[in-house]
Amino acid sequence: MCDQIADGVIASRVSRRRFLHSAAWMSGAVATGAGSWVLQPPWANAAATPIKVGIATDLTGAIAYAGNANANAARMVVKDINDAGGILGRSIALFFADTASNESIAVSNVRRLIQRDKVDLVLGGITSSMRNAIKDVIVTRGKTLYIYPEQYEGKECTPYLFCTGPTLSQQCDRFIPWLIKNGGRRFALPAANYVFPRAVNEHTRKLIENNGGEVILEEYYPVGQIEYGATVSRIMTNNVEVVLNTIIPPGAGPFLKQLHEAGFGRRGGRLACLYYDEASLNINEPQEIEGMANCLDYFRAVTSEDPASARIQAEYDREFPGRILFAAGTGATGMYRGLKLWELAVKEAGNLDREHVAAALDHAKISEGPGGPAEMVPGKRHCKMNMYTAVAKNGNFEIVARSEGLVDPMAC
Amino acid sequence: MESTLNATFEVLSFGAVFVLVVLGLGIVAGMMGIFNFAHGDFVLLGAYTTYLVYSLGLPVWLGMLAAPLVVAAIGFVLERLVIRRFYVIPVIAMVATYALGLIIREGVRGLIGGLYLSVPEPIVGSFTVAGAHFSRWRLAIIVIAVTVTITGYFLLTRTSFGLRVRAALDNPSLARASGISTSALYAATFTVGAGLAGLAGALVVPLFSLFADLGIHFLILGFLAILIGGIGTFQGSIAGAATVGALSAALPWAVAPVLADALVFVIAVVFIKFRPKGLIA
Amino acid sequence: MAAASPTPVGSLRGYQRHMIPILEIVLFAVFAAAPIVLQDYMTVFVTRVIILALLALSFDLAWGYSGIMSFGQALFFGAAGYGVALLARDLQMTSAFIVLPAALVIGLGLSLAIGAFLLLGRHPPTTIFVALGTLAGSYVADRLARDWYYLGGQNGIPSIPPMTAGGYEFAEGPAYYYLALTVLVIVYLVCRFVVRSQFGLALAGVREHEARIAFLGYEAQHMKLAMFSLAGAVAGLAGGLYAFHEGFVWPNMLGVVVSTQIVLYALFGGVGTLIGPVIGVMAIEIASFSLSDSVPKIWPIVLGLLLLFAILFAPAGLIGLVASERERLGDFGRPPLQPRQADAMPDDAAA
Repeated sequence: MCDQIADGVIASRVSRRRFLHSAAWMSGAVATGAGSWVLQPPWANAAATPIKVGIATDLTGAIAYAGNANANAARMVVKDINDAGGILGRSIALFFADTASNESIAVSNVRRLIQRDKVDLVLGGITSSMRNAIKDVIVTRGKTLYIYPEQYEGKECTPYLFCTGPTLSQQCDRFIPWLIKNGGRRFALPAANYVFPRAVNEHTRKLIENNGGEVILEEYYPVGQIEYGATVSRIMTNNVEVVLNTIIPPGAGPFLKQLHEAGFGRRGGRLACLYYDEASLNINEPQEIEGMANCLDYFRAVTSEDPASARIQAEYDREFPGRILFAAGTGATGMYRGLKLWELAVKEAGNLDREHVAAALDHAKISEGPGGPAEMVPGKRHCKMNMYTAVAKNGNFEIVARSEGLVDPMAC
Repeated sequence: MESTLNATFEVLSFGAVFVLVVLGLGIVAGMMGIFNFAHGDFVLLGAYTTYLVYSLGLPVWLGMLAAPLVVAAIGFVLERLVIRRFYVIPVIAMVATYALGLIIREGVRGLIGGLYLSVPEPIVGSFTVAGAHFSRWRLAIIVIAVTVTITGYFLLTRTSFGLRVRAALDNPSLARASGISTSALYAATFTVGAGLAGLAGALVVPLFSLFADLGIHFLILGFLAILIGGIGTFQGSIAGAATVGALSAALPWAVAPVLADALVFVIAVVFIKFRPKGLIA
Repeated sequence: MAAASPTPVGSLRGYQRHMIPILEIVLFAVFAAAPIVLQDYMTVFVTRVIILALLALSFDLAWGYSGIMSFGQALFFGAAGYGVALLARDLQMTSAFIVLPAALVIGLGLSLAIGAFLLLGRHPPTTIFVALGTLAGSYVADRLARDWYYLGGQNGIPSIPPMTAGGYEFAEGPAYYYLALTVLVIVYLVCRFVVRSQFGLALAGVREHEARIAFLGYEAQHMKLAMFSLAGAVAGLAGGLYAFHEGFVWPNMLGVVVSTQIVLYALFGGVGTLIGPVIGVMAIEIASFSLSDSVPKIWPIVLGLLLLFAILFAPAGLIGLVASERERLGDFGRPPLQPRQADAMPDDAAA
């Protein structure tokens, strides 16, 4: 602990000028991620120990763009909380562990978070396999609360593990009928070969068939595959009208490009992809993904309808200009939601005891967040939120449908 | 009929680019005995250079012209500084090239923010033959790759430089004893190999978009290709690349793609078991 | 491998001729005492390093002593890991007396099968063919595991219960640490015995010049197969330990990335010495761990740079910095010829 204090600013002796001077250095450190402290506000009593929050996400590796978005969102929220006085009179200190898209490394680094840094809460994990790898270390062996912020298939029911990203049910139950109305009845489900796409296809197949549609093609490809001529050919010859894609990068870009070249869009075909957000728009040229639809808890376009979302987006853009975007597919929105809900829970519980906080978190509600309010469903550890259907037009997402109120996650 | 044409065309275009990658990898492996783990990342560098030029507002084809030159230059520097020291212990060179590859790959990842970025093709649009659509750029790729390969072939067989390269490939000590400067030759070969990889990267980046792990895909398949084709000959590299490229592009048309992926390897291993010298001994 | 020019005995001090045993003893002392001084999470981390060192050891048996460039050690490691995970999940077997032998047997069986296919046959295989064959095995296993729902697909098998012995549970921390260390030491001693035995001597001959040894009547391929199977067994054992320690298994454990990393860690440490790969794994894992803490966003680049510079200055591996070339390559117990006695009668020179 002492070496951590030495690293940071010793608050009780900080004058305003020194505070600003070290703020400049600290923001550099925060930006690069070196060291583990967020700016400690001047009001913080040096004697009171800070509340420690651990962020375990992909700072390096294949999905680093998503992990870093999560990390930035966390930094932003914690800074806001600290600026407003912290929680229970204590400031929050952030600790980062790189999960590096590698489960082995992740487990070691997360263990360090739990055992050395002794954090009171861990948020993070992006892929389901990563969540599965680190949840034991955090929840069972580490006896710590874990919040998972990313969209996923929705079957995680471990106690003390709370999910603040949309579940498949939230994404698809309204989206599929919309697709049938605005695309057609003949569906193709090209997918990457791992758990999430399989769960997606299992869920959506039922929805499609119940709504009068038909699944013409359901195929699985190795994650690294980058040539899709065979698939595209089958899609075109079978007159598929809607392609609900769960092929992930690196295959996604070439697949969509080849589909476009074959004339799918030109003949009125509809594209849909459950993880597509603003961060994914760079993968293809705008004309190749024209009309791509998705249903998520947040799009940048929501900022024109919801002032809270606008404020959050503006603050993020100001603090983190550049390529790492605040987008729903990365889990950044779930990260925001998770931290704010947890803040409320700790305030209600009055202490950091895992049992008390978990009990309070179980029914926590925030009235402002990206996309609107959010409410935990008691007993289910999943979150109700607004869902928006958007379509890509000319390289930007436009909202075309909204849920009527908060959508139930239908999980556990 | 239409899908057969499409399949053939797709196989050809991937195979053509793959040949460029394998040529560099194979000749270096054959001549210096070094399997360059960073070769895939040379491909990445070629793609990145193209993207960089394009993002500066310049035309894409300019980036594609610059890419092989830039990567060749980087290859030359790396050869002089690092690779050269491992000619006596080629096995250890693997660690060094792996480290180099790691640095390049993670460096590029940091520079592009870990994103997947698209680069438009210089020649847009498609043409139709017998009812099937073919991308113009893929055709251009085939033409360019074939031209470069044929040029390389003539370089190897008709020039004195090529003669020296083939001598060094065949019997390095005898070549040295005959007065051929293997040091300069190795440098030249490595540089050209890197340049070819850079060109391949530049050509494929509009098809596959730019991402930091672009090179790894080519590396593993490249390894297979030089083994099937036989190490150390020009024709061998081409045969190997063509076979592996064709197999990996064609199998998904016939078998479930997940199976096809693993099948390429199994077929390769079984093949070499019964023909250890490779396709072209 | 390049033939060693005999270092004149006079140029090496007494202890310098025995750096490897000294290193072994020092390292053993350090490992034995570590949990007493380290914090719990560091002990857990070093346990993992010990288990990976076991895996690197298996590679050294294959390449450093038998000339088999195995890019597939992860296959045996991962297969055994999955095997014991299934035993724990489906049959509720977590006893160390069952799962550790099971892991060993799985590794042994697989490597025997694959080794037989790759090594036996009319023509002795080239180094590169074996490399490819093992690489392919690793790659195919990875793809299979990813696709098979029973094995958990991409997610693998999580939440493996702790290993038991009687009523005792091996929790992570000092308990598991000493278990892993004990296994490592036993395996290490066994390997040391094997490579210094007559069998090991013949194997060294195979490594240096296979055709010559074959002409002398040794069944080179059979010997290599035996060693490859031993390597597979050790890798399997490591996999079993790893599965229970980490609490989960996943397809990457079987795949090409881990296989390649082990090759590189071992080469980095110095092959053909048994202790070299242990040092290599230690060095790289500790470097990764501390770098990801101090420079979290760019640590892979820093690691690459460190690796590069280290290998440039120590091409024979880290062990080459400490042990002389002659000691690394081995003199098998007979004192070397003194230069001034080189033209003496043979029975004078032999001591």
